[in-house]
Amino acid sequence: MKRLAIVGMPNTGKSTFFNRLTGSSSRVGNWPGVTVDLLSARVVLGGDAVEVVDLPGIYDLHGFSDDEQVVRSFLENNSIDTIGVILNATQLDHQLPLALQVCKLGIRPVLLVNMIDEADQLGVRIDANTLSSAIGCPVVLLSARNGTGFNDARDTLTGELRDASPASLNALRDNLHADDELVQQADALIRKSVSAPSKLVRKMTERIDHVLLHPVFGLPLFFLAMFLVFQAVYTLGAPLQNDVAYVLDVFRTLTLEPLAGVFPPVLYSFLVDGLYNGVGTVASFVPVIILFFFFMAIVEDSGYLARAAFLTDSLMAKLGLDGRGFVMILMGFGCNVPALMGTRVMRSRALRLLSMLVIPFSLCSARLQVYLFLTTALFTASQAPLVLFSLYLASFAAAILTALVFGRRLKSDEPFVLELPPYRQPVLKQVLMRGWHEIAHFLRRASTFIITGVVLVWLLTHFPAGSTPGGAGTYASILGQWMKPVLDPIGISADMSVILLFGFVAKEIVIGSLVAMTGLDGIALNSYLATQMDSIQAISFMLFVLLYTPCLSTLATQLSESRSWKFAGYSLGWSLGLAWAVSFSFYQGARLLGY
Amino acid sequence: MDFICNSMNSIDKLSSLRKGESALITGIHAPDHMRHRLQAMGLRTGREAEVIRRPRLGPMQIRIGSVNLIMRRRDAARVTISTRQ
Repeated sequence: MKRLAIVGMPNTGKSTFFNRLTGSSSRVGNWPGVTVDLLSARVVLGGDAVEVVDLPGIYDLHGFSDDEQVVRSFLENNSIDTIGVILNATQLDHQLPLALQVCKLGIRPVLLVNMIDEADQLGVRIDANTLSSAIGCPVVLLSARNGTGFNDARDTLTGELRDASPASLNALRDNLHADDELVQQADALIRKSVSAPSKLVRKMTERIDHVLLHPVFGLPLFFLAMFLVFQAVYTLGAPLQNDVAYVLDVFRTLTLEPLAGVFPPVLYSFLVDGLYNGVGTVASFVPVIILFFFFMAIVEDSGYLARAAFLTDSLMAKLGLDGRGFVMILMGFGCNVPALMGTRVMRSRALRLLSMLVIPFSLCSARLQVYLFLTTALFTASQAPLVLFSLYLASFAAAILTALVFGRRLKSDEPFVLELPPYRQPVLKQVLMRGWHEIAHFLRRASTFIITGVVLVWLLTHFPAGSTPGGAGTYASILGQWMKPVLDPIGISADMSVILLFGFVAKEIVIGSLVAMTGLDGIALNSYLATQMDSIQAISFMLFVLLYTPCLSTLATQLSESRSWKFAGYSLGWSLGLAWAVSFSFYQGARLLGY
Repeated sequence: MDFICNSMNSIDKLSSLRKGESALITGIHAPDHMRHRLQAMGLRTGREAEVIRRPRLGPMQIRIGSVNLIMRRRDAARVTISTRQ
């Protein structure tokens, strides 16, 4: 099979092009020589099967950031037939040196000059023929966003792939010294083939920034925007969640229960009370998750995230972090795992480790599920949002405390320099694609982690045979008794401590486990929970869930990204200790005050 | 002598430009890896840099040709400039 690698700087529309070329067939996977997962897809181009690999956005093929090293070792260890270099047409002066670096690799690339629609509007004219003959490789002008020139780009890539033979790129490092020449060469090429106004004025972006980056109102506007996003997710998500729960319930009573009725009681209980109810309760949270990532993708694609970094940097600098760290913490509110991987843009190890230590305290969408469920079950409609909001505050407080405690030991001199892209209208297809990837990810987890977890909980709470389901004498209650000395002082009952054990694997399992353990759902489960804990115990439980560890995937990502068992262990120990200390102080404090 | 050096330094750094002012970049004074990165992001010798934003707290916004960058003052102080044009 032929292989095509896509390379380019950040903010060039690289993933828009990749998605347009590959449709929704992409998946993440492992590659030789590369410690991180890369997005790739198999497509048919001109009758041949071709594997397209989307490499991380980089500024410099010879740079020292982790992403740049990933791209280099990928190119060194995997045979490539052709490289597509995505360039931003409005910034050719800035981006052409990277293309020339790729040319030096000894493999003929195709230069894909993207965002030609934007360049047109700004009065930038590019002579593709002149550029192509001067560099000696094909140049295509296109807009991956609206499709202009896309067919031409695909055909050119197809033609190049047909003629190319795979090359291994071992001679990469030898070219390191010639960079200054490349810049001069690029400048000469630009003079020959590009005409642009001396100043690119983006009136719209400047007007919006005048408001959003306002020295006084910028930060309040940012927090307002975030608040509105969260508000929108829940006002839109909650009814959808009820709808899904309703459909699942109807399916159970009308189809599943009569069908499963033929099975012996134990198998029936396993299928209906354990598996179906457990997985179903978890599945009803899918709409909220999709909505969350939908809005995050809009914020990300519009170019506002870089502004968030600008606005929060002075705050973060005091904590030994930087504006990018804040953005990653924010991403962590969706899912901690991609946020941890996002720290790869940081070159300084100390800064990266500190950011990775802080991110797991972001209240991710999986933990949110648990809280939505518990606050609805145990608090009044007016109390619930307040409790939820306090948990978000606690999440920030834990992040700040962690940065303050470890910031002194993990000092860095990393420069904070970030590109501020112009505002762009998010492409609907792109945003939907992101949502689709998240559902796919969720379903993959559902099929492995969540089902295994739910089944395990059912087994633990229904065996040994003869014991009352969920009652004393089951394996679960024995486990709960073991943990009692540690969890009693923070107000967590033996039953709930078993749930915590499973929540360690993934928070998505927590609610499913509750259902599988008790065999109850809906209102019956809510009243059961009310017997398990009062409001003080519930808050203590939720604080513990917030802090003790996000999930096994997060821990594994910390390990693979830091390549240090010591760091991952440190992070785990700190969060377990912090969780217990915070819950203990809260629970005992509240009890002392007579609550 | 010291006095002269200091005052020259304070004039000749990107970090000392005010909002709306521009100058030519003459060099980057940083360890290799850091210089490399700043150059790749557009801070190259001979390019003109203009200060777009300079809030009292927080990073500056610099425009170099078609690229807009945000950078901390501490990092901008590593970039030397010449205002004679």
